[in-house]
Amino acid sequence: MGAYVLRRLWQMIPTLAGVMLLIFVLFNWVGGDPSLVLAGKITNKEQIENIKKQLGVDQPAYVQLGYFAFEVATGFTCTWKSFTDKPEPPKTDPKADPTTDAKSDAVKATAQTKSGCQAVRSWATNEEVPKILTTRIVPTLTIMIPVLILETILGVILAIGVAYVRGSLTDRMIMMVCTVAMSVSFLVYIIVAQYIFGFQLGWFPVQGWSDSFWKNITYYAPLPIMLAVFVGLAPALRLYRSFFLDEINNDYVRTARAKGVSEKTVMMKHVLRNAMIPILTNIGIALPGIFVGSFLLETFFSIPGLGREILVAVNRSDFPVIKAATVYLAMVTMIINLLVDVLYKAVDPRVTFK
Amino acid sequence: MSAVLNASHTPPPPAAPLHQVSPGLWQLAWRRLKRDKVGIVSLVVVIFFLLMMVGSYTGLVAKNWSKEVGVSYANPSFMAGAENLEAVRTKADANAPKIEPVDLSDIDPLAPRYAEWAERTAKIKTTEVKRAESLAFGGDKWGRDVLQKAIKGAETSIFVGLFAALFATIIGTTLGAISGYMGGKVGDLLEWFYNIFTSIPYILLILAFAAVFASSPQLAAYKGVPMVVAILAFTGWTGIYRLVRSEYIKHASREYVKAAQAIGASDSRRMFVHILPNVSHVCLVQLSQHVVQFIKAEVILSYLGLGVPVDSVSWGTMLAEAQSELVIGKWWQLAAAGISMAILVTAFSMLTDSLRDALDPKIK
Amino acid sequence: MDNLLEVKNLNVKFRLDGNQIFEAVKGISFNVPKNSTVALVGESGSGKSVSAMSIVRLLPKETAIISPNSEISFEGRNLLKLPEQDMRNVRGKAISVIFQEPMSSLNPVFTVGDQIAEVLRLHTKMTRKQAWARAEELMHEVGIPNPKLRMNSFPHELSGGQQQRVMIAQAISCEPKLLIADEPTTALDVTIQKQILDLIANLQQRHSMSVLFITHDLAVVGEIADHIVVMQSGEIKEKGTAKAIFEAPTHPYTKALLSCRPSVLERPKRLPVIDDFLRPEGVNKENLVQRKRGYEPNDQIVLEVNNLSKKFMLKDGLFKKREVAAVKDASFKLARGKTLGLVGESGSGKTTVGLTLMRLHAASGGEVLFDGVDLLKLSEKDFLKYKRRIQIVFQNPYASLNPRFTVGQILLEPMKIHSIGVDDQERIGLAMALLKRVGLPDVSFYKYPHEFSGGQRQRIAIARCLTMKPDVLICDESVSALDVSVQAQVLNLLQDLQDEYKMSYIFISHDLAVVKYISDQVMVMSEGDVIEVANSDEIYLHPKQEYTKKLLGSIPKGWQETAAA
Repeated sequence: MGAYVLRRLWQMIPTLAGVMLLIFVLFNWVGGDPSLVLAGKITNKEQIENIKKQLGVDQPAYVQLGYFAFEVATGFTCTWKSFTDKPEPPKTDPKADPTTDAKSDAVKATAQTKSGCQAVRSWATNEEVPKILTTRIVPTLTIMIPVLILETILGVILAIGVAYVRGSLTDRMIMMVCTVAMSVSFLVYIIVAQYIFGFQLGWFPVQGWSDSFWKNITYYAPLPIMLAVFVGLAPALRLYRSFFLDEINNDYVRTARAKGVSEKTVMMKHVLRNAMIPILTNIGIALPGIFVGSFLLETFFSIPGLGREILVAVNRSDFPVIKAATVYLAMVTMIINLLVDVLYKAVDPRVTFK
Repeated sequence: MSAVLNASHTPPPPAAPLHQVSPGLWQLAWRRLKRDKVGIVSLVVVIFFLLMMVGSYTGLVAKNWSKEVGVSYANPSFMAGAENLEAVRTKADANAPKIEPVDLSDIDPLAPRYAEWAERTAKIKTTEVKRAESLAFGGDKWGRDVLQKAIKGAETSIFVGLFAALFATIIGTTLGAISGYMGGKVGDLLEWFYNIFTSIPYILLILAFAAVFASSPQLAAYKGVPMVVAILAFTGWTGIYRLVRSEYIKHASREYVKAAQAIGASDSRRMFVHILPNVSHVCLVQLSQHVVQFIKAEVILSYLGLGVPVDSVSWGTMLAEAQSELVIGKWWQLAAAGISMAILVTAFSMLTDSLRDALDPKIK
Repeated sequence: MDNLLEVKNLNVKFRLDGNQIFEAVKGISFNVPKNSTVALVGESGSGKSVSAMSIVRLLPKETAIISPNSEISFEGRNLLKLPEQDMRNVRGKAISVIFQEPMSSLNPVFTVGDQIAEVLRLHTKMTRKQAWARAEELMHEVGIPNPKLRMNSFPHELSGGQQQRVMIAQAISCEPKLLIADEPTTALDVTIQKQILDLIANLQQRHSMSVLFITHDLAVVGEIADHIVVMQSGEIKEKGTAKAIFEAPTHPYTKALLSCRPSVLERPKRLPVIDDFLRPEGVNKENLVQRKRGYEPNDQIVLEVNNLSKKFMLKDGLFKKREVAAVKDASFKLARGKTLGLVGESGSGKTTVGLTLMRLHAASGGEVLFDGVDLLKLSEKDFLKYKRRIQIVFQNPYASLNPRFTVGQILLEPMKIHSIGVDDQERIGLAMALLKRVGLPDVSFYKYPHEFSGGQRQRIAIARCLTMKPDVLICDESVSALDVSVQAQVLNLLQDLQDEYKMSYIFISHDLAVVKYISDQVMVMSEGDVIEVANSDEIYLHPKQEYTKKLLGSIPKGWQETAAA
């Protein structure tokens, strides 16, 4: 198994390189010159100049790719320029806009750093990108981990029940309801639920977040969590039901019946154990998504999570944040996929690590 | 009609003596579909929506969706007598700046866009002499007919869903066919490509594409519908690729393909003449599934302001307006967009299920 | 004699798509006496498996309808009227079942020990520990080596034969009175089949139970059955003691079944088929004249294969690759108008030889000389000219024809590729003539493959090859998936075509009797090695290698042999 994990890690290198290449092509070529991108979004000329220098937009493509690779390698904590260039003497532009806000001070501050290692910063807020990502991930996971757990447990339980009465009127009705429920946009659910439970009934806060985990999970998170579980349940139920039905048609189920095993035990022991294999695959596919979270929920309920942060960055064309989030989450995804594949062995004895 | 279906897929042998050609698999599938009541009803609903889309595109229906025919937030005709404070206020102070019903700007990331939207809408504004107090399904803030808006919005959303799904299917099928059939170095390269796209969480991938496309000066000319179609197609082909690839791997080792190889059929002939018709039903089901998925995605993208601009209304932009309307009790725009979308998507999903059942080639 | 099981007037229907009803079993009656083996014999669609599954009520509830007038009486109780709870106590305890595919019939995620112990825990009062210990004894009894260790194995870690032994251990664990064996050896190699048959016969004696043995192959049950029930399309054609059925069959269908399967002892010019027995004048005596087989010294050699080998690469360890040889240095000659039989068990590499020599697989070494040209060295373009001269008919008639093509398109395609015939008109004429030659009506031209039966599809596949007038035809298990009566017809067709066109055949099969019947020379393969090549009669009468002897010893002998012994 050690050899297997090593080989898988080795295989991640070209994929990660590909992800970086894709991001690079997208943001540096298609995205274009940051001064044009940011025109109208950031008015501070000095800042734009600084950004252009950081990116080295006047350099050939391979040098720019080198910068980017360096940023990824150092975990976005160091930018190439500040590392190689001699620290420049602080340039104070006499014509600088006197109303320059704190952001521009921060720009000056970075220029003066002498440590030689300076984190990549957001174009819009000048906050350090690694810090943005690490602080925003906590609220997202506070919402998404309970969602994933609840959705899986409820989905599996309901799916067994529905598969047990397969073909009956109950089964058909539930499937019909699922199809209809799935056809309503997530947006509509959020808008209506926030209106009814937040504004009208006042059972839950309309929105908000705090610094206390306990308050968040008991006060702010329940409505978003319940919404996400409710909306995710219908597709999960349909999918899991199909997994159970696929298994029921297998020969080993006939054998179990021929042994005199009751229909209930057939479902709960023989079928469930086998259906766990595709279910686990499905969870593995969904797992990386919890880090982005439901950006819609975070937006509506003012949860300072990663999803909302990325959305804000998209709206502001704040490329460093999007680039860093994408590369990091791609790495996380690859690691999770590897973990899920190793976990597979626990549910499927046929798996061998080659 | 079955003869037509047949002709398009399996031309009868040329110069054959006049003879009834047996029904092919497509025809048999069509017969099975015809027996499936749910499937047929769904098909009728989907066709109705498609006709509506064509009608609204050519201007036969909902031509005047942007005309301000009613008072602000005109009531739906079935509750015509209800109080409409907004209209009264608007009338009373016609020159006053537009009132935000409830200020959501601090929680709403799109707050900066409202000004932009309002500005654009103002451009289309025409002076109306007489405004109706009530409209069939109510009016929006500017007194536009919500029902017409929903029809026009359907046009945009379905158009985006259909074309994005079509392009995604074409990309996914082509790459999947090449990768599955050829394997080897080419297959590895495409697998690498696929791995890159799937190792980035889907939502993030869409947002990254949207961010870049939206801010790219070169692509500025394609803003709006073409750009949404491109974003969805470029990010949404991976599932189809995976499926088509595995189908091609399966079929390439089937005996009928080996037999074709044995009689000397070329690679391209085996790929497209022999295997493609046998996996086309998979592509069709995927296409239909992705239409649904992309319609939903378009709605969300447009809501977020990353989709179509407000002057070409879609269900998503309608929902964006509806959010603040609901707080002041004007629910009809939300209902119109939400319900019309739910009906189409339900019908499309059920049609997909029926298609899958009808095309399931058990008889092979 | 007491009957353990009495099936009376059993009628089973199935609901099909579109409210159609299909009557699978049409009111049959038969008995299973105590302590005896009854064989239910029939071809596909005869209703034999449906009848057996009705006994334990394992037919799909949603679609199967058992007529209320039917009665299945087991030890005086009507099983069809038993409440589900009581029925569960019958299954696995009084009546147990083993199935055709042991691999898929065992639950892949539980150890075999767990699965055997599960039955014991269900039907006896044994503790977990006792059940486990008993399961181990049972594993030992069914002949699984090192049972203590194997108890913790998962099904996929066992061979096919061992999996079937586990199924049997599971079935006999509660000392059932009746064991239903539904084609238990069909998916197994012939040497394993022999072992499993012996095991079942042995256990039947030792546990004094009755066995209901379902099979399509009369020869298999010759040695073990006391009574035989012959079924065809849902009806019983004949029933009686094994002796009566084998020695004095009365129904033409039984007669046909008995004689259309090739025997290793005889080689009639043509095999008798069902129609022969339905005609008043009976089998044409001329067809029963024995045919002489074997290569002659002055035979013209059309194909010479020297040291053909094929290796596959498997991933192994971190970055290593492991080489697996599917074929090692196979050499043989094929004479014009003669048949070379390639015989071996699964994994012997016999199919790989066929695919490699016509370049459907890339060879790893050796040469294939055809007309003095090494086919393996030709460029793809040069090889195209030779392609039409070597053709292949595959095993699975349901997979070898493109389901989206009409038969006409299937037949015209090769002619177009190789520019046979001046125009489509002429090609259609040729195709029509070939359809007629392989025994299919003209209208077939406009039909799709799904409208044909397995045997008819094989005829279409043969016709497709004939359009190119090949010199060499490779038959890769071409008759293995067919019912015996259809198999005989297709074998006769192949023989007629060989006589007419002087084609050479490479006949690949696991079925020793069929290979013996059709081949002039036989090549025995095992695990990629060529064990022995010799003239057909020579190899069957005087096998030189141990493996060949073992293989030949496993051929089901049928009734005659037992009687003689």
